[in-house]
Amino acid sequence: MFKKAVTLFLWLTIFLMASPKQNAYERNCIPCHRYQPASLEKLFMEYLKTFSGELSLKESLKIFLKNPTEKDSLMNDKFIENFSVKDATDLNDTELDKAIDIYWDLYDVRSKLE
Amino acid sequence: MLVSKNKGTNLLRSSEKSSLLRFLALYIILVTMLLLLLGIFYYESQEKLMFSNQRTILLNHANKQVKALKSLHNNFSHKREVYPRNPYFRSAIYDIEGKLIFSNLKNNEIIFDKEIYRTGNCLQFVKYLDDYYLGAKYLFIEVDEDLTWRDETMSNIVTFGGLTLVVLAIFGFFFMRIFLRPMKNSIMLLDDFIKDTTHELNTPISAILANVEMMDISSMTQKNQKKLARINIAAKTVSHLYQDLTYLTLSHNRESTDEWIEMKQLIEDRVEYFTILAGSKKITFTLDLEEMTLFIDTVKIARVIDNLISNAIKYNKRNGEIFIVLRQNYVEIRDTGIGIESKKVNEVFERYSRFNSSEGGFGIGLNIVKSIIDEYDLKIRVSSVLSEGTTMKIEFSKGVLDV
Repeated sequence: MFKKAVTLFLWLTIFLMASPKQNAYERNCIPCHRYQPASLEKLFMEYLKTFSGELSLKESLKIFLKNPTEKDSLMNDKFIENFSVKDATDLNDTELDKAIDIYWDLYDVRSKLE
Repeated sequence: MLVSKNKGTNLLRSSEKSSLLRFLALYIILVTMLLLLLGIFYYESQEKLMFSNQRTILLNHANKQVKALKSLHNNFSHKREVYPRNPYFRSAIYDIEGKLIFSNLKNNEIIFDKEIYRTGNCLQFVKYLDDYYLGAKYLFIEVDEDLTWRDETMSNIVTFGGLTLVVLAIFGFFFMRIFLRPMKNSIMLLDDFIKDTTHELNTPISAILANVEMMDISSMTQKNQKKLARINIAAKTVSHLYQDLTYLTLSHNRESTDEWIEMKQLIEDRVEYFTILAGSKKITFTLDLEEMTLFIDTVKIARVIDNLISNAIKYNKRNGEIFIVLRQNYVEIRDTGIGIESKKVNEVFERYSRFNSSEGGFGIGLNIVKSIIDEYDLKIRVSSVLSEGTTMKIEFSKGVLDV
């Protein structure tokens, strides 16, 4: 009974804490990756090094997030051995596209080179 | 009697010279084109060699830039980052979709599918990356083109091409002389023959004409009168030819003695001279002459008028007409003869050229006319309609007019 009450309290807290101003990327990506050894920043650079262009990167990332496999993962074997492959996302296509677009805009190198 | 080569061969020499010049011009044009083609091949081979040398240098630059990009990629902070630059080259990176990531090229007209190429005054080299550092699939390296090779190549082309052209032109000149020798010999043979004949014609023709003039035709029967008229015509025809040949071989190079000539009187005299000849073909003259004077050599203008009238008779039809119009600035002689084909109109003044091979003559009359016309800077216009007739119009220049 106590366990259920704590769980309910936590869910409510998370639900209430989640600001309505947070975007799809902040809501769905940051919370988990915050505790991952592979930062979103490093992962972006890995994706960029592998897929080069905006369209190909976004498309590949979307396919992976919807159906993550060891084969498609860019992480090394040791990482996968320790942390396994992530679960498939439950976001719909629109939400997923929005999150990926924000991710791209945030880490796109073009605007940062001078 | 043989006549040695004299000034009369000048006309031959000028036609030979003109043929020689035409051949030589054609030969030089062909040789120049061949040398230009060789020059282009040489230039292209030198350019390929330059590209090959530059390719090695640019590949080294590209490898250095890849290392720098790799380092930047691995340490990218996602704040402001300085794109790696090198004093020896400029570079640009494009992603797999051909979108620009960063560029410090002078010339951004890049070509993705050509490894090395020239754009403006720069050389550009593209390297395809296996690892897309900073998302770069294409790395372009640009350097300013060193044009020393081009100056050296052009200098070689001009120097060796020019020398070869001169040598080949000298060879060509001698070859042409050898090739033209048979033609020259045959023309000289014809000239010599004409000169020899001319000298042999003078005495008998003069004797025939003088005696024909002296004969009392009133005591002759009509039949004999006709025969005498025919002798007169034949003798005058030969005399006209003799005068042309004499002019060509002897008088042509003499100094002109220009004086004021009453052209109306001269034309009437010459028409009278040709009346019997024209009468043999029942050709009539229609004269429309104004009084006017020309400052010209009398022998020469007489040769011009004689030849034009003689041709108008020679190439006229039986019962034809000859119209002669004299105005203040031109004289026009029109016949109702066989006419000249339009494509041959320009050739009538060439020596030994005849309108029609059925008529006799050497084809020198109009050549003489042209040489006199040119000497006095006059203009002659020929208009002709086949089977209808020919009009020869001489326009007088200020130099010979009384103005």
